[in-house]
Amino acid sequence: MRTASDPPAIEFRNVTKRFYLKDGRTLREFAQAILTRRAWGDEFSALQDVSFQVERGESLGIIGRNGSGKSTALKLIAGVTAPSSGEVYVTGRVSPLIELGAGFHPDLTGRENVHLNGSILGMSDREINEQFDSIVDFAELRDFIDTPVKRYSSGMYMRLGFAVAVHSNPDILLVDEVLSVGDAFFQEKCQQRMREFKQQGVTIVLVSHSAETIMNFCDRALRIDHGRLVADGPARQIVDEYMATVPQHVEAG
Amino acid sequence: MDRVPPIPRQPIATSSGPLDLLRHVAEFWRRRDLLWHMVIRHLRGQYKQSVLGYAWAFLNPLSLMIILSFVFSTILRIAPPQGVPYPLFLFVGLVPWLFFSSALSSGTDSVTNASSLVSKVYFPREVLPTAAVLTKLVDLFFGMIILIMLMAYYGRLPEPTIYWFPLLFGIHMVFTLGLTFPLAALNLYFHDVRFLVGVVLTLWFYLTPILYPIDFVPEKYSIIFELNPNALFINAYRRVILYGEDPEPGRVLIGLAVAVASIVIGYFLFKRMEKGFADSI
Repeated sequence: MRTASDPPAIEFRNVTKRFYLKDGRTLREFAQAILTRRAWGDEFSALQDVSFQVERGESLGIIGRNGSGKSTALKLIAGVTAPSSGEVYVTGRVSPLIELGAGFHPDLTGRENVHLNGSILGMSDREINEQFDSIVDFAELRDFIDTPVKRYSSGMYMRLGFAVAVHSNPDILLVDEVLSVGDAFFQEKCQQRMREFKQQGVTIVLVSHSAETIMNFCDRALRIDHGRLVADGPARQIVDEYMATVPQHVEAG
Repeated sequence: MDRVPPIPRQPIATSSGPLDLLRHVAEFWRRRDLLWHMVIRHLRGQYKQSVLGYAWAFLNPLSLMIILSFVFSTILRIAPPQGVPYPLFLFVGLVPWLFFSSALSSGTDSVTNASSLVSKVYFPREVLPTAAVLTKLVDLFFGMIILIMLMAYYGRLPEPTIYWFPLLFGIHMVFTLGLTFPLAALNLYFHDVRFLVGVVLTLWFYLTPILYPIDFVPEKYSIIFELNPNALFINAYRRVILYGEDPEPGRVLIGLAVAVASIVIGYFLFKRMEKGFADSI
């Protein structure tokens, strides 16, 4: 399928990610660890020997219970953290829709934050200026754009964050349970925008424990359980299998 | 360059040979828009919601200058060489010192303070300490304005050798940045670092000839001052601004060598530690 000139958008090769369980390490423990040449505290594997590829333009869902390692996988794709062993290859600009507005400064106005957040996501100033009106219209914040964002409601905050992220011209879009942003109208708009991305050939990786969201958007899905990749296949099949493992009384709640 | 080009491998540094380091510097340069926005963000955020706003950037060094002059000139009778008024003598050293110490302490906290960003989006993390250091240039600029006014008050013009100042200060800033990089990274792993920096800065202040002329230092302790890059820079500032002497070429070269070594080693260490940042938050 793929040629040298067309590498997969994302490739995980035997990726393992370990974390240290204990928090609040101090210099003293560090010195002890160096002297005794031992690891600091207990380790915990968030991902174990995971390998998969995502072709360009594919939309992939990752499903699994809380703490199964889904978010760690997204962080590895975003390049925020490095694998403990194995390799992660990512080709293209990644735009993470993870906790929108993380880069906002409360004292700055909406306008200033659009510029700041856009450049954090890798947009040049020219790109931001070109997209500015479109971003503001998408967020429906025309009247509040010169107000400091600390006066925004949480919905407005997230709308602006989402608007910047979707205008950052990503090759790979990472979505972590954020489609519940704003009211029903805004949600519909976001979903519409995601479908447009899909048509434009943007690679989408969506993490969710909602079977419905994954079936709506994804062609293919991975199921992760306790850090291991347990299934990889067509979204509907994987989701059905996953649902079968969920006890009925939990699902009802 | 309109777009950040695709990154073929992991964006987070997993190796750190000399070639990788050059690649990181190139990537950093491509993201200079971001650096600029971060500086603006600091500046806009710094004095927001304070009534006096940027007046604080004047009031802080001014009040320090007045109280230190009172203690060390009026009470302790320190007299700078060649009849230079003490407040002037002090201020030429104090303004660059305040830059150094505020840049170092805000740089040390820069990555820790941006932890919500660092754990979610990748961008070259060295943007954060660099922006923190560059932001303090504004305070230096205000300090220099006060210095000019102070010189006018004492009826003195800056000596023509002042043209050396930008070069000397440039070297001083590179040195500052080089120290800030590893401290910013280490502070993420051990919050002890920020407290350590506070203590070290206090000691360093007294061991740098800011309050007193270097000639006052007894011979047997002079080695401490020879080894202190800040002493070297501050003495050079006094020579070129107050005494109209060119800086000693040998010392400028030493300063330059120290600055280059600190930025190369500091940047290398920062990049080495970078991949663990998000896991340490």
